[in-house]
Amino acid sequence: MNAARIKILQIVVIAVFVVIALRLFYIQVVDGSYKDSAENNVLRYEVQYPSRGEVYDRNGEFLVQSKEVYDLMVVPRDTKPFDTVMLCSITGVPVEKLRAEMAKAERFSRRRASVVIKQLPKDVKLKLDERSFPGFYTVYRTIRSYPRKIAGNLLGYVSEVDEKMIARNPYYRSGDYIGKSGIELAYETVLRGKKGVKVNLVDVHGITQGSYQNGIYDTLPVPGTPITCSIDARLQALAEELLKGKVGSVVAIEPSTGEILVMASSPTYDPDELVGRESGNNYMKLLGNARRPLFNRAVMSRYPPGSTFKIVNGLIGLQEGVLTPQTKYPCYEGYTIGRGVKCHKHWSPLNMIDAVQTSCNAYFCYVLRSILDNRERGNVKETFDIWADYVRSFGFGRKLDSDFLDELNGYVPTSEFYDERYNGRWNSLTVISLSIGQGELGCSPLQMANLAATVANRGHYFIPHVVKRIHDRDSIDARFYVPHYTKVDSKYFEPVVEGMYRAVHNPGGTASIARVEGLDICGKTGTAQNPHGADHSTFMCFAPRNNPKIAVSVYIENGRFGATTAAPIASLIVEQYLTDTITRPQLVDYVKNMQIAYPYYDRQQAKLARTR
Amino acid sequence: MTDSRQNWLGLGEVDWKSILIYVALVLIGWINIYAAVYDDSHASIFDISQRYGMQLIWIGISFFIGLVVLLIDDKYYHMLAYPLYWVTLLMLVGVIFLGKEVKGAHSWIELGPVSLQPAEFMKVTAALALARYMSTYSFSIHRFSNIFRALLIIGVPALIIILQNDTGSAMVYGAFLFVLYREGLNGWIYVALILSVLLFIFSFLLTPDALLISMILVCVVGEGLSNGRWRSKIVYLALLALITILLYFGANLLFRGHLSFYASLLISIVILLAPVGIYAYRYRLRNVYLYLGLFLASLAFTSTIDYVFDNVLQVHQQKRILDVLGLETDLKGWGYNVNQSKIAIGSGGFFGKGFLDGTQTKFNFVPEQSTDFIFCTVGEEWGFFGSLIVIGLFCLLILRLMKMGERQRESFGRVYCYSVAAIFFFHVAVNVGMTIGLMPVIGIPLPFFSYGGSSLMAFSMLFFIAVKLDASKRELPIN
Repeated sequence: MNAARIKILQIVVIAVFVVIALRLFYIQVVDGSYKDSAENNVLRYEVQYPSRGEVYDRNGEFLVQSKEVYDLMVVPRDTKPFDTVMLCSITGVPVEKLRAEMAKAERFSRRRASVVIKQLPKDVKLKLDERSFPGFYTVYRTIRSYPRKIAGNLLGYVSEVDEKMIARNPYYRSGDYIGKSGIELAYETVLRGKKGVKVNLVDVHGITQGSYQNGIYDTLPVPGTPITCSIDARLQALAEELLKGKVGSVVAIEPSTGEILVMASSPTYDPDELVGRESGNNYMKLLGNARRPLFNRAVMSRYPPGSTFKIVNGLIGLQEGVLTPQTKYPCYEGYTIGRGVKCHKHWSPLNMIDAVQTSCNAYFCYVLRSILDNRERGNVKETFDIWADYVRSFGFGRKLDSDFLDELNGYVPTSEFYDERYNGRWNSLTVISLSIGQGELGCSPLQMANLAATVANRGHYFIPHVVKRIHDRDSIDARFYVPHYTKVDSKYFEPVVEGMYRAVHNPGGTASIARVEGLDICGKTGTAQNPHGADHSTFMCFAPRNNPKIAVSVYIENGRFGATTAAPIASLIVEQYLTDTITRPQLVDYVKNMQIAYPYYDRQQAKLARTR
Repeated sequence: MTDSRQNWLGLGEVDWKSILIYVALVLIGWINIYAAVYDDSHASIFDISQRYGMQLIWIGISFFIGLVVLLIDDKYYHMLAYPLYWVTLLMLVGVIFLGKEVKGAHSWIELGPVSLQPAEFMKVTAALALARYMSTYSFSIHRFSNIFRALLIIGVPALIIILQNDTGSAMVYGAFLFVLYREGLNGWIYVALILSVLLFIFSFLLTPDALLISMILVCVVGEGLSNGRWRSKIVYLALLALITILLYFGANLLFRGHLSFYASLLISIVILLAPVGIYAYRYRLRNVYLYLGLFLASLAFTSTIDYVFDNVLQVHQQKRILDVLGLETDLKGWGYNVNQSKIAIGSGGFFGKGFLDGTQTKFNFVPEQSTDFIFCTVGEEWGFFGSLIVIGLFCLLILRLMKMGERQRESFGRVYCYSVAAIFFFHVAVNVGMTIGLMPVIGIPLPFFSYGGSSLMAFSMLFFIAVKLDASKRELPIN
């Protein structure tokens, strides 16, 4: 009996120790998860922020610089009673705000650092260093600054990354900066550089106890790569100056490369406003403006192209063989078939070159109808889709695939669209407005500028883009070096160019105001009807006629005739770019002093004010 | 054995191997306290402003106590067992009223610069008193009044310690059951205890329905194993299932009510009691009633568990039980200790991170690191290898103490040695078990490792008295 009991007790003791040993073996040797947990406990990865890449204009001038700033951090536990008023007067922060931030930091953790004041300039940091505030220290960051204060929508802005982005992209951590629009967004991965990391050992209170393994896992931050942008800063500044007080945009492209020289949208904003402590308030202010300064009209709007689009119809007609440059049509102040389309007074009958020169509505009504009623090519639906294909080959109705992510696609209707709208009962007369660039067409100023560049190149374009060079690479994306041909042969472009030349240079041309001696500007005006008010004024041109250097499209909302507002602006841009001087200061004054009323936006603004 | 050994300082035949294990454990413990408290500003291991420095002093005192204990004639331990018991008991009561409060427990008396915990020394005197009582000539383990008195000797100090609000230390007195088993206490008590613990655990892990079904199956299979007649068992279970299903689905037809599955099963068991009785009577199988009784007792026990758990246990005790059963945890709150402790030990790997290189212990992720959770430091810095050595040394020491008990000539020494083995066993199993998540958190020290003068001195006394008794009262070798 006793012997058995002694055995049992010995077995119990040994069994319990064996169980403990097995458990130890399991958690120490078999299960690896405790090792990860231990590392998570003790290692803190402290981010070293890189400076963001600068952006230069095509002439090497700074468009965006990185400015060093310092975030003031505090560890509440380590602070001693300090002179709040002095700290406030040095940093320029109201006392209540500092108190509120300190309370917030205290709530977050007494032992861990929190940001008290963001983005203090360097001189403030130096002043803080002179006096000692125990428990406070500064952290190096860089923010954007804009020496020319231009091209807000083009350059875009940078702000702290939001929760959604953090969830989607593992690169980003709370507190990182990220490009939100424009070039900052499009070239985010180039500009942001590479964060460095410092691996520290921390104790249970999160207090750093030294560097992990003497820093062999630490990495230095790699600064972001600078970018040279294709924009010409002086030209951009001129465009923005001329657009002031108007709603619209100017886009200029170098036809031989597709480089965008100017992309101005009005109203615009001072890009510095979206940097720093006031950026949130300023952003809300911009959102509250009914003219929508944050809306990049150059690439996002959908305007009727108006008469500038006649060029496309003429080219399609020539390619389709339903028209020759010599074909003449009559115009008796309008096209009289169907609902009819009015025209202004000019000679009649006239050929295509004359029609481009005078911007004859009737002529292009005949052209569009002969394209759509060409029964050798099928019924109206089939011919319409052939026509729409041509139009798309000019870059309309789709994104141009530029490097500018904010770009929208515009609109070119299809035969199905009209089938649905008219229950399948429609013909060439139904869609006659398309002949003069009205109706269901929607184009962005970038697409119109691309049309100007395409005509300048006599039939092909390069995808418009804003970046000329990324500093650590030999070339930009390959797609920008490939010419895109339209479906119209280059031989058909010469008569159209002749018409555009005459429009500027011949008496009776619609755009004589754009004429500059010796520059051979070729242009086409447009006056686009719009349901919200006065006609939009548009003008597209390129110069010089041979071997063009610049193609411009100007679109001014409610600017009335193309020749009234858009043509002088385009002309000044071309002159400035080609000759580097402006010989017509009175024209500059004329544009600047022009008063355009925007009752539609004013009504919207009033509505916004009411809803607040 | 040589003469010089036998009579060195008149110590008799001292078991040097055990003392070697003891010294090894104390020194390893000291090194680990140093690692647990270590920081660069107080790097000297002899700095008495730090815990490791203080512990060195306690180690010195303990060695001295050990020497004194060995030098005292062993008959005094027998003689002084009761007086010492009463004195410590008195101190224990006094502490409730006079002691200072540490972490909610009134268990310390301050003597000048040092604080002592009488509860630690109570273990020594309780072991001596129990040994003395059970070695009296008239004592019989089979007589109820004797058992009752033995249980009083153990239970009174435990009760007072519970009143001090130190339930963990009180539970240590449960270790004496180990001794009573050796001395021949009825085995069924232990079966019942083990069953109760199992039922307690399963009542949390299983749903009431599943628990009831498993209790039925255990009893039926148990009865079948002892009596055979498997066919009747199958008939019984089939009938039980049938009646239960009929009740469950038929209840709303009979009296437009709904019976839960649990109620249906219970009613069918009651209905089938009569056939079970007939079966037992007819085949004259008296142990059928035993299994029936076992089943009913289990049923009664499980139905009181919820009440006891909710009303008798304190909230932190409930949480610790739920945590170790893996039913509920809160890694930031009450589950923090155990989780961090497992992380520290688990991250040690096979050979550990090396002395003073344990990041979890050095940066204080584990609370109570130098006291109750000292094993984390061992696990993290010395890995599985080091842990195994420590665990092995403890196991060896406990087995040696049991062996010392067995070679005693008198039951006094045997009961005492077993008591020491049991107390060490309980402390080590519970303390190490809790740091690796096998046991609920019970705040008792790891012998010789945890920082603290009282516990180290008390454990040393316990141990050296056993060695002394072993050295002088050893049974003569048979041939």
